[in-house]
Amino acid sequence: MIGAETPGSASPLTALEAAVTLDRACKSFGDLRAVVDLTLSVVPGEVYGLLGPNGAGKTTALRMLAGLLQPSSGRALMLGLDAGSLQAKTRMGFLSGSTGLYARLTPRETLQYFGRIHALSEVDLRRRIATLARWLALESLLDRRCESLSSGEKQRVSLARAVLHDPPVLILDEPTSGLDVLASRSLRDFVGSERARGKAVLFSTHYLAEAELLCDRIGLLFRGRLLREGTPASIRAECGANTLEEAFLKLVDRE
Amino acid sequence: MSQRLSHVLLTLGKELRESLRDRRTLAVMILFPLVVYPLLSLLAAQVAVARDKTRQARPSLVAVTGRGGARDDLMARIRERPKLLTLVERGSRADVTAGRLDGLVQLGEASASRAEIVYDAGREESREAAERLSDVIASVLPEGCAPIFSLEKRSLAPEAGVGGYLLSKVLPLLVVLMVLLGAFYPAIDVTAGERERGTLETVLCSPIRRFDLLLGKVLAVTALAALTGVLNLASMSVTLIQVAHLADPGSSLPVPWTRAAAAAGVVLPSAFLFASLFVAIGAVARGFKEAQHLLTPAYFLSIAPAVAGAIGEYRLAGLAAWIPCMNVTLLARELLLGRIPWSGALATLASTLACGCAALAVAAHIYSSERFVDPVPRKRASDAVRPANHPTAGQAMFLYALAFVLLYFVWLPLQRRNLVLGLLASEWGGLLGLVVLFASVTRRSLVDLLPIVRPPLRCLAGAALVGLSAWAAVAILSEWVSPVPKEVIEQLRRGLVPTDGSRGLLGTLALVALTPAICEEALFRGPILRGLRARVGPAAAVALTGLLFGVFHLELSRILPIALLGVLLSLVALESGSILPAMLAHFLNNASLVGLAYFRIDERVAEVGSMGSALIFVAAALLTALGLRLVHSGGRQAKL
Repeated sequence: MIGAETPGSASPLTALEAAVTLDRACKSFGDLRAVVDLTLSVVPGEVYGLLGPNGAGKTTALRMLAGLLQPSSGRALMLGLDAGSLQAKTRMGFLSGSTGLYARLTPRETLQYFGRIHALSEVDLRRRIATLARWLALESLLDRRCESLSSGEKQRVSLARAVLHDPPVLILDEPTSGLDVLASRSLRDFVGSERARGKAVLFSTHYLAEAELLCDRIGLLFRGRLLREGTPASIRAECGANTLEEAFLKLVDRE
Repeated sequence: MSQRLSHVLLTLGKELRESLRDRRTLAVMILFPLVVYPLLSLLAAQVAVARDKTRQARPSLVAVTGRGGARDDLMARIRERPKLLTLVERGSRADVTAGRLDGLVQLGEASASRAEIVYDAGREESREAAERLSDVIASVLPEGCAPIFSLEKRSLAPEAGVGGYLLSKVLPLLVVLMVLLGAFYPAIDVTAGERERGTLETVLCSPIRRFDLLLGKVLAVTALAALTGVLNLASMSVTLIQVAHLADPGSSLPVPWTRAAAAAGVVLPSAFLFASLFVAIGAVARGFKEAQHLLTPAYFLSIAPAVAGAIGEYRLAGLAAWIPCMNVTLLARELLLGRIPWSGALATLASTLACGCAALAVAAHIYSSERFVDPVPRKRASDAVRPANHPTAGQAMFLYALAFVLLYFVWLPLQRRNLVLGLLASEWGGLLGLVVLFASVTRRSLVDLLPIVRPPLRCLAGAALVGLSAWAAVAILSEWVSPVPKEVIEQLRRGLVPTDGSRGLLGTLALVALTPAICEEALFRGPILRGLRARVGPAAAVALTGLLFGVFHLELSRILPIALLGVLLSLVALESGSILPAMLAHFLNNASLVGLAYFRIDERVAEVGSMGSALIFVAAALLTALGLRLVHSGGRQAKL
């Protein structure tokens, strides 16, 4: 994998090829420094996992990349564009565990609304909804109100909404939180298939086992700082640990 | 069974504890109604008094037709009531219809036994004239004797006019209320509701400009509120006319659809105003419940001017045409009465749209800020500047609300029984006592809370200058902007200097100058100003304290001058860093007013003329500014 192996420096190669880049990004809320000097990048065809306990700064980092927050200093780039720009947002799909749906709309109406925001033509929109419905087993749900769907079904609809415009970058913020084993598994399968299609996927989780199964590279975030970055195997080896969880606990102990 | 009862009681206790710990619930459920309803009732009472006075102040224009001694007799009696009726020599039915005459009495040609009052039931002034005329005719003979006239009333108003008049009594306020209500829940749903459902983040990550998103939401709420308003207008129009039919089965009033449709014209601009305002407020709420808490005060504040417009005797002209909500009610009334006041309508439209756009601009600012994405309160930098002994803004507002409730429900009734005792109790007990109690409960020293610091001489000199000059500048300015009614001034003067000589000059000074200077300053420039300053910037804290001070005096017509004085005193307290200069300024201000009344100088103010007033204003304003400057430099010197 191509990428910055050491935290705190973005190589020129990464900056050129990366789909997603945080370059020495900091974010403060008043006195609280949520993210400190964070540098990372994700290239096309790569799944990057941002791991850390609650309050580590994962969501803030992802929100900077999704264009929801502006870095206090440093840069957040999406395919070389400022992540806050409208052009960047057309190239990115965002999904979080707390994402909701418009309860009184049907999945089809929801997808049509977002498809039109993304300026998809009516023909493309119909074709894309049909494809995604088949792919995510939504056919029988399309015309039911979202409020009547189960958690897993809602998450599948949300996923369809996030990839509706076929974006080259996917940002997933704890997408499996609150899902059962089967729903989590199908989401992981979906992420795997998107990687195979050359998408850059950045996702955060605090389930370390999940990250180990899915990620090409991971970054361990603690108190807003990147503690380590690398492949799961390299981090385990560096810490002399059998699992990522063990490695993470050792790293936190050292801090 | 006993276990079940204990479970019920356990749940009751837990729910009450949880609810009472929610300060917002407390504020909305208990303190807010206790403060807002008295304020609204006060507003309604003062508006009603003003309306009656306006109505009584205007004599009705009337004429009498017919021949003979009865006519002369009636005309003589009308002339005996110049305050109520103005007699014109000639008049006709056409004059009544055209509005040139309010009422006409037609005496029978054959004999004088039949009198007909001709009026226009579609006009308030004409209805009033008919009432006054029937009183006069009924009093033609001494009580107990048979009247020499058989009286009949005939309205010349077309049926649409009468229907419009009936609707104009109720509909304008109802329409505004319904539009407000129609905007309330949709505004919460599209803002806080969206945040609570977790869809806000999703849509903000999409390639849509935040302003476009906001505008779409505001227009949706506008449409729903307008629809609510129009449906209510239509339904109420039919219902009211039906009620009139039920009350008088013989009448055949049609629903005045043209007028109702014209009045519906006010629905859309007001819907836009309320939608923008509510969406702006809803945008800062973290959830549905919080949005309700935030929107409820805005809802009541919007109702207040609408109520004033509905029950007052205001015309859609001048300042009234520019006051949001009030002007909409007045315009709807005019349109229902079949009148089209073009300049007033334009002013109403301009002011409503301008306020709506201003609220939209605020909403746009909120939407573009990061607080919109993540409204979870975090530790603010401003918290760091709040010294540990200063109260919080919440405590400041709690103290204010408590003082207000005590004033309204305890001290005012006491003042009505015994003015001096009530005043002393409300000031020393209700204000200073409250501050002392607060200091003791929160274990703060009173010296630190107020704070009582020995000020530099320059601060005291500046404060004295403010106290001796500000009253003139404030009085003249408020006279230009919104004159205080003469009766209020007269009442104030009687309070300051009783004509029966029961209180000497020193007694009066102690009661109305020294007492408020100590007690009112202790609360307003003490914990209230300091508490607000902990939350907002100095300008906002000073302005808010001034406004609260103005409202606290419970006199609608004097809110402006008192609030201005409150602003100046807050500036003195904040700049000097001590309560003492503000107390001095307050004392000298009130003492100056007592002196004016005592030596009857105020009676000669009218002789000064407009040029003289302008000169006095400039001189007084300059002296006040100089005083503030001295306080400022003295305060800086003390800090160094």
